[in-house]
Amino acid sequence: MIVCVAVVGHQNNPLYIQSFTDADDALKLHHIVHCSLDVVDERVNNPKKSGPTLNETFLGLLYPTENYKVYGYLTNTKVKFILVTTDLDVRDADVRNVSIIVPCIELYYKSMNL
Amino acid sequence: MGREVSESCIDSLLTEVVSTYCNRFYANKPELAARRIEAIGYQVGHQLSERYTMERPRFSDHLEAIKFICKDFWFELFKKQIDNLKTNHRGTFVLQDNRFCWLTRMSIDQSPENGTSEELSIMADNKAMQSMHLYFPCGIIRGALSNLGIPCAVSADISNLPACSFVIRIKA
Repeated sequence: MIVCVAVVGHQNNPLYIQSFTDADDALKLHHIVHCSLDVVDERVNNPKKSGPTLNETFLGLLYPTENYKVYGYLTNTKVKFILVTTDLDVRDADVRNVSIIVPCIELYYKSMNL
Repeated sequence: MGREVSESCIDSLLTEVVSTYCNRFYANKPELAARRIEAIGYQVGHQLSERYTMERPRFSDHLEAIKFICKDFWFELFKKQIDNLKTNHRGTFVLQDNRFCWLTRMSIDQSPENGTSEELSIMADNKAMQSMHLYFPCGIIRGALSNLGIPCAVSADISNLPACSFVIRIKA
């Protein structure tokens, strides 16, 4: 179950954060999104560790926390899409292929009138 | 993305934009007019680069981004690619287009070399007017590159119409 979606601009400024649980968890989810920004920067700046996936837009699983999994997608213009999900069975390929990220991105472009 | 506009419309619009900014809005201040037109181009380039880099893998370095501008970006805008790309590998790139779309309707001065001083000053005026038309594409290139994270300065050079070259200097 997807618990939080966030769109972050190129200066790491939040453009849109939406959490889909009770209000208590919202702050924790914001913190998780904030931490994942660091992971994104690390992936981008360390070519040795990223290996063959350096130029991929979809960053895959950023890091697992106690009961969440965080996925990231980075566009060419440094806009980051962060997805937090509680579904522990979901795999990288699912998020990448099964149009979870892609509708988000398309909605983003539509809303910017691009 | 499904929305279309006619090319001749764009051509006429741009000619009119330059003419209005130079003759009506900033009648005696050509530098201000130039900067406004370049700023409009910056906005356009900023958003266009967002649109055209949507599905692509990310660029590994500056050269990749410039090649993207020369090939895909220019193709989307003008239905052709840049004809010649030169670089000094130190942050300066020269993009040459042998038949720049928006300059094709501009007349070419065939004046002789030994004209009178009057003719020479008219020629100089014409040159200034022609270079005004290039601020918009310069702004587009600058906006596109800065959205890809590459701050730069872009200038244009028209020695022989309708060919023109854009010089990109990447700020260190």
